[in-house]
Amino acid sequence: MSRIGVFVCHCGENIGRTVDAAEVARASGNLPGVAHATDYKYMCSDPGQALIKQAVAEKKLDGVVVAACSPHMHEKTFRRATAGAGVNPFLCEMANIREHCSWIHENRPAATAKAIDITRSIVEKLKRNAPLEPIRIPVERRALVIGGGIAGIQAALDIADGGREVVLVEKGPSIGGHMSQLSETFPTLDCSQCILTPRMVEVYQHPRIKLLAYSEVEAVEGYIGNFNVTIRRKARGLDETKCNGCGQCQASCPQKKIPSEFDAGLGKRTAIYVPFPQAVPNIPVIDSGHCARWKGIVKGLKKFACGKCIEACGRGAITFDLEDKIVTEKVGAVVVATGFQLYEIGRDHEADGLKGYGEYGYGRIPDVIDGLQFERLASASGPTAGKLQRPSDGKEPRTIVFLQCVGSRDPAKGIEYCSKICCMYVAKHTMLYRHKVHDGRAVVFYMDIRAGGKGYEEFVRRAIEEDGAEYVRGRVSRLERDGDVVRVQGFDTLSGEPVTIDADLVVLATAMRSQPGIEALAQKLSVSYDRHGFINEAHPKLRPVETNTAGIYVAGACQAPRDIPDSVAMASAAASKVLGLFSNAELEREPNVARVDEATCAGCFHCRRVCAYGAVERKEIRDKKGNLVKVVASVNRGVCQGCGTCQATCPGKSVELEGFTDPQIYAAINAFQG
Amino acid sequence: MKELQDLAAKLLAEKTVGLVIGWEQGPRGARPAFVADPKDAGRLIFDNRCVHNLAAYLSPRRPHLRGFGRIAVAVKGCDVRAVAGLVRESQLKREDVVLLGVRCGGVHDEPTDAGPLTAENLADRCVGCEVREPPRCDHVLGELPPAPPSRDGRRAGRIAELDALDHAARFAFWRQELSRCVRCNACRQVCPLCTCERCLADKTDPPWIESSPHTRANFAWHATRALHLAGRCVDCGECERACPAGIPLNLIGRKVAAVVERRFGYRTTDDPQVPAPIGAWKPDDGQEFIR
Repeated sequence: MSRIGVFVCHCGENIGRTVDAAEVARASGNLPGVAHATDYKYMCSDPGQALIKQAVAEKKLDGVVVAACSPHMHEKTFRRATAGAGVNPFLCEMANIREHCSWIHENRPAATAKAIDITRSIVEKLKRNAPLEPIRIPVERRALVIGGGIAGIQAALDIADGGREVVLVEKGPSIGGHMSQLSETFPTLDCSQCILTPRMVEVYQHPRIKLLAYSEVEAVEGYIGNFNVTIRRKARGLDETKCNGCGQCQASCPQKKIPSEFDAGLGKRTAIYVPFPQAVPNIPVIDSGHCARWKGIVKGLKKFACGKCIEACGRGAITFDLEDKIVTEKVGAVVVATGFQLYEIGRDHEADGLKGYGEYGYGRIPDVIDGLQFERLASASGPTAGKLQRPSDGKEPRTIVFLQCVGSRDPAKGIEYCSKICCMYVAKHTMLYRHKVHDGRAVVFYMDIRAGGKGYEEFVRRAIEEDGAEYVRGRVSRLERDGDVVRVQGFDTLSGEPVTIDADLVVLATAMRSQPGIEALAQKLSVSYDRHGFINEAHPKLRPVETNTAGIYVAGACQAPRDIPDSVAMASAAASKVLGLFSNAELEREPNVARVDEATCAGCFHCRRVCAYGAVERKEIRDKKGNLVKVVASVNRGVCQGCGTCQATCPGKSVELEGFTDPQIYAAINAFQG
Repeated sequence: MKELQDLAAKLLAEKTVGLVIGWEQGPRGARPAFVADPKDAGRLIFDNRCVHNLAAYLSPRRPHLRGFGRIAVAVKGCDVRAVAGLVRESQLKREDVVLLGVRCGGVHDEPTDAGPLTAENLADRCVGCEVREPPRCDHVLGELPPAPPSRDGRRAGRIAELDALDHAARFAFWRQELSRCVRCNACRQVCPLCTCERCLADKTDPPWIESSPHTRANFAWHATRALHLAGRCVDCGECERACPAGIPLNLIGRKVAAVVERRFGYRTTDDPQVPAPIGAWKPDDGQEFIR
């Protein structure tokens, strides 16, 4: 390359204040191979870009160096301008004389000299650049959504309505997630099931959604546009195609005392069960831990204890086929929407270093329940059919105390983050309670009230001012059972006095945590997660629904504590990202990926072991007769993220990163000597 | 010794292997022996002069041994670690080689040394030997000899001395040592784990390591070699023995091995399934070196 143009930017005062851009241009103009050098106030502006295009045309330049800001900022801009001038965009390089120079120095002559050095270094690098072409990858225009809660449902519906097929995988027997357990929702108090169940049915009936309930993602291979997903379809013990959801089997099951997960342990279910009447799909599962016949089969017994459900089933659907099935699906994008779990504060979470809150007696005192249990008590579909009855004796509670921030915002014993939804749902609980028990007392202990959101503050004010919830600022030190009541000993930090309340029921607003097992799933997907197990977004502000792995998106409470409106918004955002990806049959990617020199590769595969993206594969080299000559490493250009770890690891330097090859880097370093 | 000769003759006669690599009496002490004819098996010896790590001949970069098919190689317990290194790095299929493990009670520093082992003449790597019984071999031969004479490791002591020096003094020491290097590449050729198809030092575009033997280039070469062998070096000491300039290369290897053990909890092992740190990536790897 012999005709390079150097374009030095002042970036207004950003560079111009400490670096003499005109001097950088003058000095660069004298470098061997540089045919043109100039400076301009704002190189990224339209006239600045026009300057580049004009110079390329007039001076017949074959390479462009823009001495300006970080490539992160404007490399794309200038490469586009270079391409517009008819030169391969990868023959445009940026010399960073802003972040690396003008912003961090004060001495103008010294900074100018350094800017000249940086520019010379990049000119030398550019001389060894090769024209590159974007990588084109075919896209399988079909999406996988993991998790059938409201976020997963919304994402699946949006993608399917956008015309693309969706595979929706749900771990539990039914979709619906936590939202299906709620009674009413803030801030409008509309019935949760009334707005959710039509969506669930829509998923079930959608011609482009393949619902795989009671299934788990076993393995994910491949890369953006081309994922191969292995899914374990857990054995329900019956033939889904024959079952019509009549419910006879449930009615016949003699095991009727199993705590219902759906009713948060407050209701009972059978061993063959549909979690709730509106479940989608409306097909029962057999609980292998409780069904006598299942346990007998596993033990290898010849005679089985029970077969009541088989007799009851009019369609012969109950097969007791205990084998899980493995299915594979090819998809181009994945939306992770696995949701959350509540912090089980009665328990010591040794693995997580969480101690629990023994002083609140959760699990020991029957009338101390968590927020989700209160939802079930208040719900018309709940174990009490919506009548507020406390668990111990079924009496209607006259006084309920609500404790906020149990486990949240507590670095000492719980989790330091705010669970975000509790302020709102506690306000909602007080309203629901007061609407049902008009003369009851609802007392809330809070740290402060966080009600940011449309209509949220008004909602909390309404609970306090119209519905008479008593808010006490302070924490509760202890809950004790005293005869019929739960004695609440707290401290009102506004009046500075201790408070003791005898409550009939205490509701703990426990922290939201990530789902158990999310780390294992994240590792299968090669996405990163924080130390609380929440999936990391690619950028907290600008790429909130993307992950660090291309083609994998995130929605809902698996990313951070989220309420329903947030989860739905994220789900729709993720769906629009997926539909954007699917808008073309092919995907274009930057060609800055690794390349193996097969002639010198020794096949030690250190590169394969260090690759965080699984991009390095084994490749057999054979002669014309088909004899194996050697096995070498080979980079899958679709998967490679261009991080360069393999390049750094290879002892024989047989891996190069396109655009950052050894000769380029060596030349750039060497240029500093002269 | 008879047991080794008989087994070699049998393996060759049965055509189980095409070549047996062992040791023989040369004009100047013990030396590597290559026996392809069962009649020549009587040449093979094993005694405390057999210092050579013959696993170096198993590297795929030895094309002249390729034509013999399966190879049997005599290994001391410590040599098995080099074989494991080659298997770990896909340079050798374990089933392509027959390992004739010889029970060993320590060797001399040089194959030309003779006489019974004493605390004085024992090779430094044999101090505190834990592998007199060779592990993971197809055949294990000989009587289990007594443990080598006990004494303190000389190199460990030397490393402690160097560690105690300040940076300038330590640099001066290595400058003086490495200035003698003539870049003959004997250290590379003899190393059982130097398996690159084309060595970085032989590449000219870019010339990362200059080929002329001046001190700066010698530093570049030996620093690169040390880093490439970090967590891979099996401490056989062959590089130092082969060095015509008498540079204490094993000090570098030992020092780096100690750092690798401290940082990554990894020690050179005869288990090829244990990944070496250079090819092991974990999300929770320490990052305190990033500042």
